[in-house]
Amino acid sequence: MKKKLVLLIALTLTLSLFAMGCNDNGGEQGAFPNGNIQIIVPYSAGGGGDTVARILADALGDELDVQINVINREGAGGELGIAEIAASDADGYTLGVFGYPDNFVLEHTRDTDFTFDDLEYLAAFDDMPMGIFAGPGSEFETIEDIIAYGEANPGGITIGESGALGLLHVLAFSDHLGIETSPVNFEGGGELMNAILGAHVDLASTSSMSHDPIMDGGGHPIGFAAAERMDMFPDVPTFKELGFDLEMGVSRVLVVPAGVPDEVKTVLTEALDAIGNDPELKERFENAALPYRYLDYDRVNEVLQRSNDTLLPVIESNQQRFE
Amino acid sequence: MDSLQILLGILSPGVMLVIFAGVLIGIIVGAIPGLNGAIGISLLLPITFTLEPQIGLLLLGGIYMGGMYGGSITAILLNVPGDVVAAPAAMEGYPLTKQGRSKEALYYSIFSSMFGGVIGVLILIFFTPPLARFALQFGPAEMFFIALSGLVVIGALGGNIYKSLFAVFFGLFISTIGVDAITASQRFTLGNINLRSGISVVPVVLGLFCLAEMFLNIGKKANEVVTYKEQNITRMTVIKEILRHKMLVFKGSMIGTFVGLLPGVGTTLAVFLSYGEAKRVSKNPELFENGNVEGIIAAESANNATVGSTMVPLLALGVPGSPTTAIIAGALIIHGIILGPSLFVQRPDVAYTFIFGMMMTVVAMTVIGAFGIKYFAYILKIKMEYIVPTVLVFTLFGAYSLRNNVFDILIALVLGVVGAIFKKTGVPLAPIIIGVVLGGLIETNLVRSLTIANARQVSLLQYMLTNPLAIALLAMVCVIFYVVIKMRMKMKSM
Repeated sequence: MKKKLVLLIALTLTLSLFAMGCNDNGGEQGAFPNGNIQIIVPYSAGGGGDTVARILADALGDELDVQINVINREGAGGELGIAEIAASDADGYTLGVFGYPDNFVLEHTRDTDFTFDDLEYLAAFDDMPMGIFAGPGSEFETIEDIIAYGEANPGGITIGESGALGLLHVLAFSDHLGIETSPVNFEGGGELMNAILGAHVDLASTSSMSHDPIMDGGGHPIGFAAAERMDMFPDVPTFKELGFDLEMGVSRVLVVPAGVPDEVKTVLTEALDAIGNDPELKERFENAALPYRYLDYDRVNEVLQRSNDTLLPVIESNQQRFE
Repeated sequence: MDSLQILLGILSPGVMLVIFAGVLIGIIVGAIPGLNGAIGISLLLPITFTLEPQIGLLLLGGIYMGGMYGGSITAILLNVPGDVVAAPAAMEGYPLTKQGRSKEALYYSIFSSMFGGVIGVLILIFFTPPLARFALQFGPAEMFFIALSGLVVIGALGGNIYKSLFAVFFGLFISTIGVDAITASQRFTLGNINLRSGISVVPVVLGLFCLAEMFLNIGKKANEVVTYKEQNITRMTVIKEILRHKMLVFKGSMIGTFVGLLPGVGTTLAVFLSYGEAKRVSKNPELFENGNVEGIIAAESANNATVGSTMVPLLALGVPGSPTTAIIAGALIIHGIILGPSLFVQRPDVAYTFIFGMMMTVVAMTVIGAFGIKYFAYILKIKMEYIVPTVLVFTLFGAYSLRNNVFDILIALVLGVVGAIFKKTGVPLAPIIIGVVLGGLIETNLVRSLTIANARQVSLLQYMLTNPLAIALLAMVCVIFYVVIKMRMKMKSM
């Protein structure tokens, strides 16, 4: 009896391990694609990055006439999932969707298993600038208020932030204003929202996606780190207008591991161009409060390279804050 | 759209079907170890994109409600909590099963869940705006004291005091593993990338409770194994008995509601706080962990009450306080619905259909639970040699599906062995779970408090005790501490 039991357990365990190793991806022969495609998202379900991936899975799946599955592989601020995308087979059956510059910031602040060039960037779909927001009843109405208070009280302004880019944005913002501030880390957008609406921190560093809930809760934006005013929020000034040349934002990119054959890449980029220039996709993004901006293969690589060049000095001059 | 139309909409067969389907899925994923409501919801999230927003929401709400209950079924019958929040149900329910009172335990669980669920949803319907404002009062200092109260409650749980202390420190130790959220320095990660995001509570529970129990079942002889006994007990008797403990139900629901409001705290704390409180007021505290229905009532009413209250900050402020509500927020966002106060003005159809429809998820849960118990109990008729491998497979699958990561299986297996050793040596397991859940909460809020106090140039104590609310919470911690000490002294003298 006991032997039978042990045998049964061993058998089921082995079987379950096999089942985990299996995937139904990848037809080996024939024209690409002839099997299911998976998109790895390095965040949990429900956030902005996940929403983008799910919209894209749907639209791209229709365009290529295959099933595209979204797999959430969260952990370590996106590091686990991005490492997994970079290490997956370069056959075009595994794609990744995440918010650039998460990979770049992680690469330069931690000892990651991937570099920027381990991925190939096929397209970008949105452009969500970071912003600084004040909570309800805040004494900070304008950027001048912040500078005045910051100069009188070095380190006296608390700025809530979450995620890799949140802290970087606080540091760059403070550098540009020439003041010292105290960043306070929160574990996610929800906790950060609670902190700013409850006035537990003075300011919040978060993306433009938080604009509506913060306004609804009685807070207001100070400015966005964008190149120009956003169509969705024409009343919010850019930092550039306020006299500070600071641009920083999240852009959801679609990537493949480096080394995908050219013919597969062509199929993918052509399909991405087809859906990317379709007004229907733009509408779906804007419905979800995601500022749409399609960048094709050539433009995305140009824009990311330029962005890397502006980010790197900020990261390097604040290296000690990340260690 | 007026309220009558909304109500008729909810009661239409199509919507009711969706609600029942959601609740049933929730109960199933809840009962399977490792899978829980949050995973069920993320699996079904894509389906909601094609549904009307309010229908999709009710599907997810149904899974959430059902998932909170489902975990107690396997907890009571097999001592394998299907979800973290069902751990107390295992501690009290499984002893009852061993006494041949499984049906009774299951009835207590479903009807306590019903009462908790109803109270939580009523609070969602009637008190959303004021409670949302109240939740905002909780800053780092207040959260720190809340987490501390959970740590103090461990003292009430029983077991040898030194072994309990060891267990809670073990749990706290597990919570320190990973990249420190504030300074990003690595702690005990041994250079392993998978340990950087820390060890989540799910594989810990799967290992300590589910795998350990199954490991210990291996090699048991047939006559040592629990078998099913038919029991003559009616539903009405149990409901009346629960109503006799109406203070327990009320307190459990209030604790659940209160903790559910706070972002990032999680239901586990609510369940254990309520359970500890039940033990404190019980006339027979010595019966706890030997099959006391009061423990089941307190824990099960608390976890279902959180379902309604976690929705409060989400709907009123757009603040998702838990993974489950974050996914629900995602389902709304993709439909272009902005959460926050404007939701009730701009999309009253969605908002009101959802909150009133949540009441129907409680009804669906009660119907499925109360009539399904007969069939759930058949699990006990299955021979252990089939149960052990099945549970093992599901547990490993559950550990994997949390983050789609094989490493979590390894953690669950290691802790399964550790749990089996602890069970044999009498180290209590519940304090470990509480330690894992609260360690991070205590640390991050303490560091946040320090940062803010520093920025304001006041001492930590000055900052932490600025608000009357924080002072009240500190007083609460002291009272609980005093009561726990007194309880311990009394138990010793008995």
